[in-house]
Amino acid sequence: MSLLQQLINGLVLGHAYALIAIGWTLLLGVARLVNFGHGQMYMLGAFVTWWATTTAGVSYVLALPLAMVVGVIIGLLMQRIMLRATFEQNLTSIMIMTLGFGYVINGVASLVFGSTGQILDTDWSQRDIQIGGIWLTWQDAAIVVVAIALFLLLKRVLDKSRTGRLVRMVAEDPKLAQLAGINVRRVYYGIFAFEGAAVSLAAGLIAPRTPILTSMGFEEVMITFVVVVLGGIGSVTGSYVAGVCLGVFTALFSALVSPAYATAAAFVVLIAVLVLRPGGLSAGTAKGVH
Amino acid sequence: MANLSRLAFLPGAVVLFLLPAWLGGSPALYSAAVLIAIMAIMAYGLDIVVSDLGEVSLGHTVFFAAGAYVTALLSTKAGAGAWFTLVASIVVSLGLAALVGLVTLQLREFVFSLVTYAVSVVAATIAANWMFLGGSDGLRGLPTLDLSIAGLSLSARNDQEFWPYAFVLLALTLYLVQRFRQSRLGQAALMVHLNPRLAIMSGINPLKVRLQVFLFSAPVTACAGWLYAYQRAYVSANILETYFLILMLTAVVLMGRRQLLGPLLTTALVLIQEKFFSFGSYADKIALGSLLIIVLAFFPQGLIGLFALRRKQARTMAATLENSK
Repeated sequence: MSLLQQLINGLVLGHAYALIAIGWTLLLGVARLVNFGHGQMYMLGAFVTWWATTTAGVSYVLALPLAMVVGVIIGLLMQRIMLRATFEQNLTSIMIMTLGFGYVINGVASLVFGSTGQILDTDWSQRDIQIGGIWLTWQDAAIVVVAIALFLLLKRVLDKSRTGRLVRMVAEDPKLAQLAGINVRRVYYGIFAFEGAAVSLAAGLIAPRTPILTSMGFEEVMITFVVVVLGGIGSVTGSYVAGVCLGVFTALFSALVSPAYATAAAFVVLIAVLVLRPGGLSAGTAKGVH
Repeated sequence: MANLSRLAFLPGAVVLFLLPAWLGGSPALYSAAVLIAIMAIMAYGLDIVVSDLGEVSLGHTVFFAAGAYVTALLSTKAGAGAWFTLVASIVVSLGLAALVGLVTLQLREFVFSLVTYAVSVVAATIAANWMFLGGSDGLRGLPTLDLSIAGLSLSARNDQEFWPYAFVLLALTLYLVQRFRQSRLGQAALMVHLNPRLAIMSGINPLKVRLQVFLFSAPVTACAGWLYAYQRAYVSANILETYFLILMLTAVVLMGRRQLLGPLLTTALVLIQEKFFSFGSYADKIALGSLLIIVLAFFPQGLIGLFALRRKQARTMAATLENSK
């Protein structure tokens, strides 16, 4: 394969990474919340999409919103149970609880969908686009388009709209925001609903690229960590750029070194960032310390 | 109070040791008892870091796996004995803990957890892919545990014979954790956790304390891995499954922080359910995960907090009554 083709693959992968991480970008960057069950929510999104298109016989275009609805419900449920810890900004507690949610989601999905691997087939992944010597599938194109659209939308909403102002105000000081008459609870629910919907959409779009298993999700969580940290916590644009860069890096690493250790390589990037610029992170965590 | 609990400790230990025999002594009972001891030891390593230092390490499964893999590698490929593999497990876990500890030294709260979690995810991919560690098949055919020294024959061929060793290691762990909490390092860790400024003013170096506690905790968890490898007689990448992490975290938080017997009681509770009252492996996952969530969401002080609160309320009420007389 040519280098150009590898670059294209990397760009597609990068948009996939950015899309997987967008929910966390809002969660951590804006609302100072974390979700360690993110990978399992991704897994669930993939399986709901698979179930909808195969067993339920729904078309793929309808299966995606269905998976998003399930994601929203899971997100709202999680936020409901974690509400007290959220108000106390008890990140440690939230972190362990979300790990627990991930574990429960994994158990439920294994019960419902079984533990065998499945293939999520879509019409889009069967059809190729060929330009010159390089090619990509319609599915790949859809990932890139949706990722760009969703990032633009998130950025616009956060920067320009009233909702965005409310979210930023709650993130800055939840207690003050409440005093100012903002329904803080609703904002937190909204953020987790977005996280659930976004990761399910990402799963529905990206999972057709690889076989799906109920035990998956760890790679996605790792990617998300790297993207959010690399992008600089709090920056939507940063996350997008970081995702794309990481995708290109992983594609080249897989092609030139070893595909099995791509996750490990992403981890090395994470460590390098943390060691080289710990300051960028402490700015994000300062509020979490209490 | 302290003396009382120390007096109660010895008979309690004797009862605990004889419990599997009194309950009928079936192989399944001994197997459960051994497993409870191993998992509790594993959890105590994490307990020190979470309860005393106040940081949530999600990478302790790596120390557990390190103990098991070192034991499996050395005993199957180099024919090493159990004493040697024990020392090697401790040394390797110390090395890993130093590495992880130094890299994460400046990190706090969820960033520390995020990186330690990442460490365990990477360790799982390495264990599953690296042929040196047996890849996805793992390492099979470990010898039986044999700690014989100087003519004294000490070996364990089945779970019943295994129980005394698991019990001794558990008792030793409890003793060490207790001693740690009374030690200068333990006090310093608590001060760094609860009042970092006061700690620095008292001449404590928080970074040094963090690293020392981390280094103390890793071999405890690794020793559990060492014993687990012998008990299972094979080690595979499954040892890095989230199950162990969730079990450890539940053990640490369920009863409440800094409760000496908390992790042991919780581990016993969870494993007895899984071994004797199982709902099937997937439903057990849901049960364990839900337990962890429910405790943190609704009983953040742990279950002990419930009783303590009652007692406190009762005491205040008694005092009020006393005063009103």
